[in-house]
Amino acid sequence: MNKRRPNPKRVPDPNEPLWRSTLRVAMPLNLSYIPIGLACGILLHAAGFNTLLTGLVSLLIFSGGAQFLIATMLTINSPLLSIVLMLFFLELRYALLSSSLSPYLKGQSNRFLFIFAISLNDENYAINYLKFATDKKWTGKEALMVEHYSLLFWAMSNVIGSLIGSALKIDLGIVNFALTALFLYMIVMQIKNRLTVVICLISGVLAAVCMMLTKSTLGLVISTIISSLIGFGLETTLRKRLPDSHWLWKLRGPGAKQSAVESSDEK
Amino acid sequence: MSTVNTWTSTQHFWLIILGFFVAFLPRFIPLMLFTKREIPEWFNEWMKFVPVSLFTALVVKDVFIDSKSYQLMFTQVPEMLAAVIVIIIAYRTRSMAISVITGLIGVFLLSMVI
Repeated sequence: MNKRRPNPKRVPDPNEPLWRSTLRVAMPLNLSYIPIGLACGILLHAAGFNTLLTGLVSLLIFSGGAQFLIATMLTINSPLLSIVLMLFFLELRYALLSSSLSPYLKGQSNRFLFIFAISLNDENYAINYLKFATDKKWTGKEALMVEHYSLLFWAMSNVIGSLIGSALKIDLGIVNFALTALFLYMIVMQIKNRLTVVICLISGVLAAVCMMLTKSTLGLVISTIISSLIGFGLETTLRKRLPDSHWLWKLRGPGAKQSAVESSDEK
Repeated sequence: MSTVNTWTSTQHFWLIILGFFVAFLPRFIPLMLFTKREIPEWFNEWMKFVPVSLFTALVVKDVFIDSKSYQLMFTQVPEMLAAVIVIIIAYRTRSMAISVITGLIGVFLLSMVI
C-alpha cells in the first residue's frame, strides 16, 4: 500500500500556474477517486464489462452511483429498459445540482455549459460549489479544470480496476462499501447546523419508506424532493419566527456543546 | 453478486449510450435554463437541502434496503458499524480519502469478526 498524505498546507503563491493551483484544489478528490474507481472497475468487470467499455462508461456517464448501479443490475440480469429507467431516476438529482451551480455560470457560452455539464458529478460539484461560494476569484474556467482532473483520475482508476478484476478474485460486497463511505463523508461535510442533522434523520426515514413503497430507486428521488422541501420550510419558518433559535446555530468542530439545546423563550 | 451476465459487448455499448443521455440531460438542461434567466431566491434556499437529503437517502439504501426486494433489513451489521466509524473519522479528519479507506478497511475487518 502506498501512503497518501494530505497536501501540506502552504501559503498560496500568486505566481503559481493555474493548472497547478486547480490541481491542488482537486487533489484530495482525485486521490479518493482511486479506491472508489478501482472498486467500480472491479464490479463492472464482474458484471461482464470489458476494459474498453469500462473506460467508455466512466468517461460518458461519470457517476459513481450510476456505474455501481449498472454493475449491480447487470449481475441480477435486469432488462435494458429497466436499467436505463433506474439510471434516469438516479441521475435526476443532477438537475438539482446543476441548477444550484447556475448562478455562478451566468454569461458562459452554450458550448462551455455543454462541456461543463458532461463532466459534472456529485463530488466535483461539492468542491466547486464550495469554491464558488467562498472564493471570489473562482470562475467557470477553474471549475471546469477541477472537473477534468477528477474525470481523468476516475476513468484511469476504473480502467485499472477492470484490469485488477480480471486478474484477482475480490469480495464485491466490501468493495461496494466505498461508495457508501463516500456519501457518508459528503453528508458530514454538508452538516452546518442542528437543523441539517434533523433533515438527515427525516430524509433517512423517508428514503426507507419511499423505497419500500415504490419498490425502486424512484423512492430516492421522491424522498429527496420531500425532505429538501421540509428543510427549506423549516429553515424559512425558523428564520422568520425564531431568528435566535439554537437549531440554526452553527456546528463547529469536534466538541460542540450539547447543553445548548434548551432554547430560551422568545416571542 | 457473482453470477456472470450474458450480455454481449454490443448490448453493453448501447446501455452506455442510452445511459449517457439520461445522465447528461438532467445536468445540462437546468444549466442552460438558469444561466440565462434569474433563479428565484426561494429556489436557491431549497436547493441547499438537496445534497444532504439525497446523500442520506443513498446511504440508507446501501445499508438498510435489500437491493432485490426493496424491503428494510438490519442484517448488514459490519456495514452499519463501519458507517458509524466513517462518520466519526469524517467529522474529525475532514478528509475524503482517509474516510473512504478507513471505511473499506473497517468493513473488511468487521465482516471477518461478525
